[in-house]
Formats: sequence, C-alpha cells, structure tokens
Amino acid sequence: MIITSANTLQNREIIEYKGLVTGEALIGANVYKDLFSGVRDVVGGRTSEYEKEIKKARDISLESMKEKAKQLDANAIIGLKISYDNLGGTMGNTILITAYGTAIKYEK
Amino acid sequence: MKIDKQKLDNLGKAIVSIVLGTLSGLATYYIFLYFKIAIFGWNLGLLFSPLVAGYVETYIARKTIGEGIGAISAFFLFLVTVAYGFIISNPTLGYNIITVGSIIIIVQSALPTFINYFIIVVVVSTISYLTGFFKRLIDGIAHYIRKFFGKESEKTVPEIVPVFDEKASNERINSMEFKFMTSNNPNTVDYENIGYFQSTIIRERNTHIIHLDPQKIEDEHLNLLKKGKDECLEGLAKEVKSAGGNGVIDLEINYFLSGLGGSNFQIVAHGIGVKIKN
Repeated sequence: MIITSANTLQNREIIEYKGLVTGEALIGANVYKDLFSGVRDVVGGRTSEYEKEIKKARDISLESMKEKAKQLDANAIIGLKISYDNLGGTMGNTILITAYGTAIKYEK
Repeated sequence: MKIDKQKLDNLGKAIVSIVLGTLSGLATYYIFLYFKIAIFGWNLGLLFSPLVAGYVETYIARKTIGEGIGAISAFFLFLVTVAYGFIISNPTLGYNIITVGSIIIIVQSALPTFINYFIIVVVVSTISYLTGFFKRLIDGIAHYIRKFFGKESEKTVPEIVPVFDEKASNERINSMEFKFMTSNNPNTVDYENIGYFQSTIIRERNTHIIHLDPQKIEDEHLNLLKKGKDECLEGLAKEVKSAGGNGVIDLEINYFLSGLGGSNFQIVAHGIGVKIKN
C-alpha cells in the first residue's frame, strides 16, 4: 500500500476516493516510565526508551490507518498527516499520536 | 477597672516580639530577593523568611515572657511574601505543580498544625475516596483472609476497558453519503466550493493524579478521544450537509487540552465544505 503526504500519485490515475482513514495511539500514562525519562532529561543524554515508545505508537497508528484503508478496498493513502499532541496537562507526558489521510483506489 | 500589670507587660513584650520577628523576616526576604537566591525561578525567601520571622519571634518571646506566642509574625510574612512574590512581582505565574507546591510549603510553614491536619486527613481521604485505594486494600486483605480460611477460591476478575470498535467506526464515518478528504485539491473530483466549516467537541477526562492502574486510564482516554473524533466528524458533516454540501476537503483534526488544569479534551475538525458533482 502506497502512503504519501502528497495530494496526488505521480503517473498514476486515481479512480476513486474511498474516504477518511485514521489511526490513533496514546503513550505515557505510565508514571514510572515518565519518571525515568525525566531523570534522563535532567542528567542529559537521549531518552531512548521514550523514543522507542513514540516510534511504537506511531507504527500502531499507521498500521491502524492501513487496516482501515484495506477495509474500504483502497490501495493507497494520500494527504497523510501525522500529529503529536501532548495531552498530559500539568502532570506529565501523555502523547497522542494521530495519523490520518484519504484512502483512494488507483489504477495499477 | 483593675488592670493586671503583669498581663499588660506581657502583651507589650509579645507585640515587641512579633514586630522584631516580622522585621527579621522582611530583612531575610529582602536579602533573598536582592541576591536572587532561587531554584527554578522560585525564590527561597518565600520559605525561609516566614521561618526566620517565626524563629526570632519565638526566641524573643521565650526569653522575655517565658513562652512562645505562636509564630504570628510568620503568618504576616506569609501574607507579605505571597502578595509580593505571587501577585505584585509575577502576576502571570502559571498554574503548575511548582506554584501549587510553593503555596503548600508557605502555608505549611505559617500554619503547621492546620496544614498538617489538612494534608494527612483531608488530602489522604480525598485521594482514598477518588481512587478507592483503601477500599481495594481492605478488599484485598479480606480476600486473602477468606481464601486462607477456605471460604473463597476464585480470584476477582479485574475490570477491563471495552475495546473501541475501529471497524464499525470506519464504516460509519465513510458511509454517511459524505466524503472526508485530507487532500486540499482532489484533482480528479469535480466539486464546488461551499465554504469553511468547523466542529468542536469537549469531553471531560480523568484528571486523577495517582493512577492505580495507569493502563486502564490510558485505554479509557484513547477510547474517549476516538469516540470524540467520530462525534466531531459527524458534527462537521452535519454542518456541511445543512449548507447543501456532501464532502470536506483539506480536512484537519486537532486535539487540545482545555479547562482549568487541562481537565478536558477538546477536539476540533475543520476543512472546506464542498459539493461533489461526480
């Protein structure tokens, strides 16, 4: 499945716009994980555990989006948007990762 | 009227003790402000000046009267430092954990008995009530006692957050005789531009500081956001349909926290309403 943030697929004709597909994942409510990440922030160095969690969450949201595109009988997603929003408020890091785009069917 | 000379004398000494204590506290606060003795922008004078005031006052009162008089100057210092530090010096100070923590420490040093009672009884009870910590603890102990005496063998089934039906949601959103598109110019579609539309929804989130089961809260929040997003999109479709449209292009979905202390999730969906012809 082709996924692109562009509005078109070069050299391919879009036959049908299937609709919106979305994927969401949330990380960081686990206070212990945040605690260690915070320690690393203070003493310096990469918070690699946190980076791994973010990558995992992004993969989950992209996979969820692809599944939904397949369900609509689409073979590509265009106009992809990914956003990272901190929804933890004053008490820490709860990051929502959302991926969404337009599922389409193009002529192969 | 007979005036007790001893009491009058003690009252005078007490006032002198309070005045000297207050002056010492003010001098301390001035020194801390002058040398900018602060941690993370929080001036330590807020903590130390009421302590010095209370100490000096109590010391003088004990020497002159023979007993302490309750660190009244510390309370005065508390009022002065709060008025200066939080209102005059920094009126834009944010609502965050450092501010709240600072206020608690200052109030604690000014009114130790009341605040300790408040922290131990009221705060712990509130947390217990909201999180059900002690109920779970007691239930757990009762469960093991019953199990020990052979009156219970099965473990209680933990509460599970129902899984959000992604498939049904996807079908519903894309089967409303309506097309949502993130593209800002779907070039193979013939459409007429109607105008800009947006839809907003606000949902209350769980703001408990302590979570006994963080994963459950995370699942609940994710479900809340997913349902909220669907409702927001349905609201947007309704708006566009009422204006004669049957699609949205250049769709954006944004998520925010709103309300005091970020108590709500706010979801906004916006885009250009269109009438698709083919």
